[in-house]
Amino acid sequence: MSNLGFALEGAWKVLAAGLVLGAGLPALFALGIRSLAWGAGGEAEDSHARPNQFGTVLGYVLFAIVILGVLLGITFIVASGFGKTISFDHIFPTIVDK
Amino acid sequence: MTESTVILVLVVVTALGFDFTNGFHDTANAMATSIATKALRPKVAVALSGILNLIGAFLSVEVALTVSNAVVKIQNSDGTPKESLTADGGEALLLIILAGLIGGIIWNLFTWLLGLPSSSSHALFGGLIGATIAGLGWAGVNWNGDGSKLDGVVGKVLLPAVLSPVIAGAVAAVGTWLIYKFTIGVAQRFTDNGFRWGQIGSASLVSLAHGTNDAQKTMGIITLALIAAGDWTDTKNIPFWVKASCALAIALGTYLGGWRIIRTLGKGLVEIAPPQGLAAESSSAAVILASSHLGFALSTTHVATGSILGSGVGKPGAQVRWRVAGRMVAAWMITLPSAAVVGALMWWVSDVIGGLTGAIVIFVLLLAAAGAMYLRSRQTPIDHNNVNDEWDASSAEDTREPAKTGV
Repeated sequence: MSNLGFALEGAWKVLAAGLVLGAGLPALFALGIRSLAWGAGGEAEDSHARPNQFGTVLGYVLFAIVILGVLLGITFIVASGFGKTISFDHIFPTIVDK
Repeated sequence: MTESTVILVLVVVTALGFDFTNGFHDTANAMATSIATKALRPKVAVALSGILNLIGAFLSVEVALTVSNAVVKIQNSDGTPKESLTADGGEALLLIILAGLIGGIIWNLFTWLLGLPSSSSHALFGGLIGATIAGLGWAGVNWNGDGSKLDGVVGKVLLPAVLSPVIAGAVAAVGTWLIYKFTIGVAQRFTDNGFRWGQIGSASLVSLAHGTNDAQKTMGIITLALIAAGDWTDTKNIPFWVKASCALAIALGTYLGGWRIIRTLGKGLVEIAPPQGLAAESSSAAVILASSHLGFALSTTHVATGSILGSGVGKPGAQVRWRVAGRMVAAWMITLPSAAVVGALMWWVSDVIGGLTGAIVIFVLLLAAAGAMYLRSRQTPIDHNNVNDEWDASSAEDTREPAKTGV
């Protein structure tokens, strides 16, 4: 296979991972902010709706998911520094030798 | 001290100098958006990025000794230098590395002077390619690899340079669009505060990844020089002082902050709001990490620029200054050949003069060029005080800059 073939093969994988982590996580973060605003009510929303506890809880759950994603990223950086990588073969990320 | 020892010292000093320019050239990649949206005060942003680069550089335990193999044939596949180059205490190899590094530094400083975020990896590879062509001829360059994997100048440098900004831009555009879609109806003050935090987090991730990726290259080059000169033999490890000094050089460079480039990326391309900053930095972090996971080499600079552009495209009604983007793309295209020309010139100069004197002469040439560009930069200083000034107010002055001279 030529260099162009390898590059395109790598590119679409990077694009897919990028969309899930690089666009998906910020989108979840945005939903989290929206939920917090819903929870806070009043000044936080253009509609000045009444505060709703459920929104606050949901917001923090969404933030927790985002933080897990970021931790995964940090683990990957640290692991690759030590010549390891993260495998998704068992669905749950596990640290394996490169 | 023998002649080759002195040249080795020059190589080490120049390599650390390159690492330093690599640091301040790339501060913008991580921190330009956080500075532009005032999520962080400028000085705090560069300090945070510097510290994370330092940590990142120390985390890179894996040896990047074969870094030059992607583009030039001066090493065997196990990382040892080619035997033909190590006669005479390795002087032949040391000169190629020295000339290549000087080519990289001079181009980095020149693009910094113009405020253009060009790729430091391209500058380094360009310098090495030029010096190798001068020293060993065209056959000394690994143009296309052997077809078994993504390799060579085309596979490791040119193709990723075309693809990565597009990928990063697409991801950031989708992210930005989703964020704005999801936060309709939320008061702007409320969202901006939240997104500033997200932005700081994602920018920190980019800084950390930068430290692990970029400091390694210089570590590999210095270790290669040490092996060539016979001062080190282990191809599986690098001396601790090399790691420590490279980590410090890139961190100090980052802390110094390439304010000119930060200004272009943060204010010049797009007027960035906190939600866009979050989308851009998240896209950069994800694309950089996913690429290194898949062994897909790319330039942090190209990714960061693509992401910021994408965040402008994805926000309904946002203004993107395509003229500034065009100038940047032009700079990207000429970075590799220009650094190569400087690298080749340096090699010829030192070869004509010969031996230690030749090496010292090109080192002095580097100092002179660096000093001249620094003095030129003082005429229109950009620092942490005016980095966030309105772009258009200064644009009249900006266009008077001779952007295309000296290329």
